[in-house]
Amino acid sequence: MADRRTLALGLGAAAVVAVPLTMALTDRHLAGASLALALSTATGALAVSALALQPLLARRAQIARHQLLGSVVLGLVLVHVAALFAESPGDARFALSPDGPTRARMALIATIALLGVVALGALRTRLPIAPSTWRVAHAYLAVVVIALGVGHAVLTDGALDDAGTVVLLALGLLGLLGVPAAHVVRVRRARATKPFAEEAVRSGQTERPAPS
Amino acid sequence: MSGVKRRWTLPLLLALVTVGIVAALLDSEPSGTGAENVGQSGPEPTTSTEPPPQSDEQRAPRRRCKATQSNPGGTNNYLPDAPTRDSLGSGFVITGLVRSAAGCRPLKDVRIQVWLATQTGGEQDNRASVRTGPDGRYRIETDPTVPQFGEPNIHVGYDDEDYGEVFIRRVVDLDDERAVVDLTLARGG
Repeated sequence: MADRRTLALGLGAAAVVAVPLTMALTDRHLAGASLALALSTATGALAVSALALQPLLARRAQIARHQLLGSVVLGLVLVHVAALFAESPGDARFALSPDGPTRARMALIATIALLGVVALGALRTRLPIAPSTWRVAHAYLAVVVIALGVGHAVLTDGALDDAGTVVLLALGLLGLLGVPAAHVVRVRRARATKPFAEEAVRSGQTERPAPS
Repeated sequence: MSGVKRRWTLPLLLALVTVGIVAALLDSEPSGTGAENVGQSGPEPTTSTEPPPQSDEQRAPRRRCKATQSNPGGTNNYLPDAPTRDSLGSGFVITGLVRSAAGCRPLKDVRIQVWLATQTGGEQDNRASVRTGPDGRYRIETDPTVPQFGEPNIHVGYDDEDYGEVFIRRVVDLDDERAVVDLTLARGG
């Protein structure tokens, strides 16, 4: 039963990654495009897929994968931006300037939030803040990254228009719903581990302490 | 009291950040500062190549039209002195009326430069100089434009001696067949 569930989840995750990537790379707008433009399109599509999957990996058992995927998303976004600078430095600088279009400003804010959410993840145990504060800040930044990152992709003409827009919106919805869902799952598991549930919910600890 | 303060600090901070993000987005223009959508589709209006007759108002010596201002991004991928070409392909037309700010009269034989990304190449590959006719209009046919950094856009510029330089970046929709960019040039910029 568990194997079937794992298989279904694996296939679902593969579809989430493969569908937008395939649609983007086979779109007519990339016909004759430079390698840099194809690379920026591919990394952008992969980053959106990874963002949609991230909240699903937020539970404690998957936390190592969650952290790894967070670093992968950051790497994809940095390559995406670098490829755009390689494609046209003037257009890239203009896009990031105060005169740039709304979709570029969304991307800029999403990237700053992504840096913040990855830094929060990496420094979780070293920051002098309460676990509940950390969780709220992490979830808030995650919502900003997903909403503005997907919004940027939707407003960008080219590789993922029409049916691609529907796919992008579905991935954005999956990611945004995943954030509160991850919270609900965490709270339920904490309650299921009574008698220390109250303390666990308050402190963010969701596993039973090891017997001494 | 300090517990109440602490409880409100994070929500207040996140509310302020959210307000800042919304303000930053609302402050931007969808296609970039000053980049109006100048795309059109349907049959191209026919225009006479003769200069239009001047009205009394146009003859009036004090009449002055507002000069076109360059907009941010107008010089993106600009290379001076684009080669003179009759066309850059087919399927999309860039046209417009060029006038003088002083007197608002159409300007004939003025060099206008255009550049845009199409499926045959980027903005630095698809560039041309065209001259206005007796009616002050220029026209060049190109291959359809493709999204360049997320949106199809075209550049039109004037960069010669007689008038101040003007560099324009405008956007069109993917299914548009024509872009109309009128310029009003002023001496001395």
